[in-house]
Amino acid sequence: MNTIINVKNISKSYSRGLLALDNVSLKVNQGKVLVIMGPSGSGKSTLIRTFNGLEAFDSGEINILGIKINQYHNERRIQKIRKRVGMVFQQFNLFPHLSILDNITLAPLNVQKRSRVDAEEYGMYLLNQMGISMHAEKYPSQLSGGEQQRVAIARALALKPEVLLFDEPTSALDPERINEVLDVMRKLAQDGMTMVVVTHEINFAKDVSDHILFMDSGKVIETSTPDIFFSNAKHERSRKFLNQLNK
Amino acid sequence: MYLKKIKNYIQKLKEILLLNSLNNFLTILLISTILILSIQSFNWVIFNSKWSVVTANVPLFAFGTFPEEQRWRPIIWIVSLFLISFLSIIPPKWKWLRKNLLIAWIGTIPLGIFLLYGGLGLQTVMSRNFGGLTLTILLTVFSSIFALPIGIALAFCRQSSLFVVKKLSSIYIDSMRAVPLIAVLFFGQLLIPLFLPLGVEIDRVWRAIFAFTLFVSAYIAEDIRGGLQAIPNTQIESARSLGLNQFQIIRFILIPQSLRIALPALTNQAIGLFQNTSLMSILGLVELLGVGRSILANPKFIGQYIEVYIWLASVYWLICTIMALIAKYVEKRLKIA
Amino acid sequence: MKSYKGIIFQILIFLFFICLFGLLINNLIINLIRTDLGFNFSWLLKPASFALAEHALPYSPSDSYAWALFIGWLNSLKVIFTSLFLSTILGIIIGLSRTSKNIILNILSSFYITIIRQTPLLLQLMFWYFVGFLGLNNNFIYFTNIFKINNKGIEFLGLSLTSEYSALIFGLSVFTSAFIGEVIRGGIVSVSKGQWESFRSLGLSESNGLIKVIIPQALPAIIPGLTSQYLNLAKNSTLAIAIGYSDIYAINDTIINQTGRAIECFIILLLSFLILNLLITNLMETINKLINRKRIYIN
Repeated sequence: MNTIINVKNISKSYSRGLLALDNVSLKVNQGKVLVIMGPSGSGKSTLIRTFNGLEAFDSGEINILGIKINQYHNERRIQKIRKRVGMVFQQFNLFPHLSILDNITLAPLNVQKRSRVDAEEYGMYLLNQMGISMHAEKYPSQLSGGEQQRVAIARALALKPEVLLFDEPTSALDPERINEVLDVMRKLAQDGMTMVVVTHEINFAKDVSDHILFMDSGKVIETSTPDIFFSNAKHERSRKFLNQLNK
Repeated sequence: MYLKKIKNYIQKLKEILLLNSLNNFLTILLISTILILSIQSFNWVIFNSKWSVVTANVPLFAFGTFPEEQRWRPIIWIVSLFLISFLSIIPPKWKWLRKNLLIAWIGTIPLGIFLLYGGLGLQTVMSRNFGGLTLTILLTVFSSIFALPIGIALAFCRQSSLFVVKKLSSIYIDSMRAVPLIAVLFFGQLLIPLFLPLGVEIDRVWRAIFAFTLFVSAYIAEDIRGGLQAIPNTQIESARSLGLNQFQIIRFILIPQSLRIALPALTNQAIGLFQNTSLMSILGLVELLGVGRSILANPKFIGQYIEVYIWLASVYWLICTIMALIAKYVEKRLKIA
Repeated sequence: MKSYKGIIFQILIFLFFICLFGLLINNLIINLIRTDLGFNFSWLLKPASFALAEHALPYSPSDSYAWALFIGWLNSLKVIFTSLFLSTILGIIIGLSRTSKNIILNILSSFYITIIRQTPLLLQLMFWYFVGFLGLNNNFIYFTNIFKINNKGIEFLGLSLTSEYSALIFGLSVFTSAFIGEVIRGGIVSVSKGQWESFRSLGLSESNGLIKVIIPQALPAIIPGLTSQYLNLAKNSTLAIAIGYSDIYAINDTIINQTGRAIECFIILLLSFLILNLLITNLMETINKLINRKRIYIN
């Protein structure tokens, strides 16, 4: 089994001595789903954003797909990672001035230098898979939140990534819309995509994840499998957190 | 085997350098240009320039041709301005002082007139002896104090539901903003006497103040209009539901809030006004820039453009930067974006 | 009840202004009669009897005042449109430098902006003219016959620009570019951070992302600021009189000095600038519409 993501002792501090990340280590194997949970401010977003270089860190090392990054934040290597690792954001971050199809084909055309015909064909295929191909020529503001997030996922998939990162993908959605997105994510996991997901959705975590990582104040408090974590968490803080979520 | 290690090493170097090559090249180019220019100007400043043109004329730059023994008068006035500005920025704990701050500001005008023009025991000084930085400050302060209330009034007139009021103020504001300042100043000098009854004369400094006031009030009106539009409707609704009438809403909510929001734009106007007083040097008033030009016309200092201009630029830059920093400080304290 | 109040108030204001206006006009007429000037435009056809150093179309002192004014207007347009072009290009460079990751570029451009914005334009123009151009000797830059810069001006490709014109366009362009740079920076900064993260996550390069994602979204924020800077540039061009360039204002000034026709000339100047104002505003409106055509679907 390949270790796709190997994080070794990364730390990051903010200017006032506060630690955003405190000696965090983890491993993700190919085809597995890691779910990161924790209270707000625990550093989970910061952590996942170090994987594709959106955040720098002060010490330690990350090895993704064989590419190593450290505190020197080598732009060239980070660019290489970004071509193979996709990211989906909480606020969708679609490009408002481009149509849905253009949103999806922008990166394949400019980064992977594919032909327009190729890129559009694959784009439409992805939209079809998500069930939103009828919106291809519309603009993001005309779609609902759930639809926009599915476009965002398609946009990340258009580059045929080997890893997908999700930063609280459903936190900005209306409750009725959450499931459409979670269903897409479930299918991706079933099809064997390596995924790291920051989320509060317990049911999704129970069903889909292979490992849970619980963070608080920048530290990894507990890592275990979902059955153990949700029924009998080892640490006091994890149990406290789960109790609050269950209310 | 060693060959492979060396190849790896070179490969790594290539990776680091190649992406940033354009950046690095640019950086090196810029740094070398800056170094060369700095060394040359440093050389010039120390060895080739004659700064006596500045040092010998400092009193002129500061006061113009104000009589030497009376120079304490403009000094007192400027110091009082500093004091009041200081108190405005860092309000003291004494409540009575805070309430009277507005009156203090308005009071700088009669104080200035008294100290500068004379009368009532002080020797009279003609306005054509006003000059240099003193005149610049005089023009800026007086015009600002007059223009602010007029600008506020214009802004509200433009929002008025009364058609005549709205139209008149809009025409005024839009025309003033379409016309270049120098034209307004020039025609102020020229045309104001034509509109006055026989025998009434206004001296050139007051004509300039009048022209500046007319011009700046239109810009202030637009800035305040922007401030008014940024006040959320909910504020006005809450005020209404508390029973406040139209005038009270204007006085207690709209004016303070719009001034707060428009503060950055207003301070920019003040800085612009300070710089624009230099235009009067073309129209016969000897303010800071005007003093510089007249000094350059003196056969003793002919051709020393660079020294005089650099000096003037530094003075203007210093004062404008201080104004900008104070503005930023006040904005931070009032928590405007 | 309230509507009556409103109407009465309006009538009162109207009457007040009529009275004020009447008083002023009365004084004006008395003074005009006193100085034997009157108010008419017939003098426009009389010969101007002053020479002009620069004229886009043929002009001689025997031409009418009206023609002189027209030449002045053309001179103003020459300066304004050249400077609009130059200052925009410079402003784009400065604005992009201000937002660039290159530290040196960033510091240099903010230095540039602060020095230019905190010193009066008039002073800068005088610098460009007296120190910049008149201070040059005869052969400052001499590149065979194709490109010359000396104290008489600039010459290249058969075009010769006087030192007054050159100093004016450089001074105006550099001054306005600092403000345009800030406008462009403001526009770029107004685009949400998430957009930058999006295109970076997709692996798009910085320059590609800037061009294809950020700038299209920054443009609507930039256009209004750009318009007001262009209008400022047009108004600032009147400082030409300080360095001896005959623009519309300078010629206006000369005519008033010669004929004493202050009021008529004031009206002419007012009209010229209103027209200029309308020209620029409409141009920018058209550009604004062109950009927004695609954006009907964007909130």
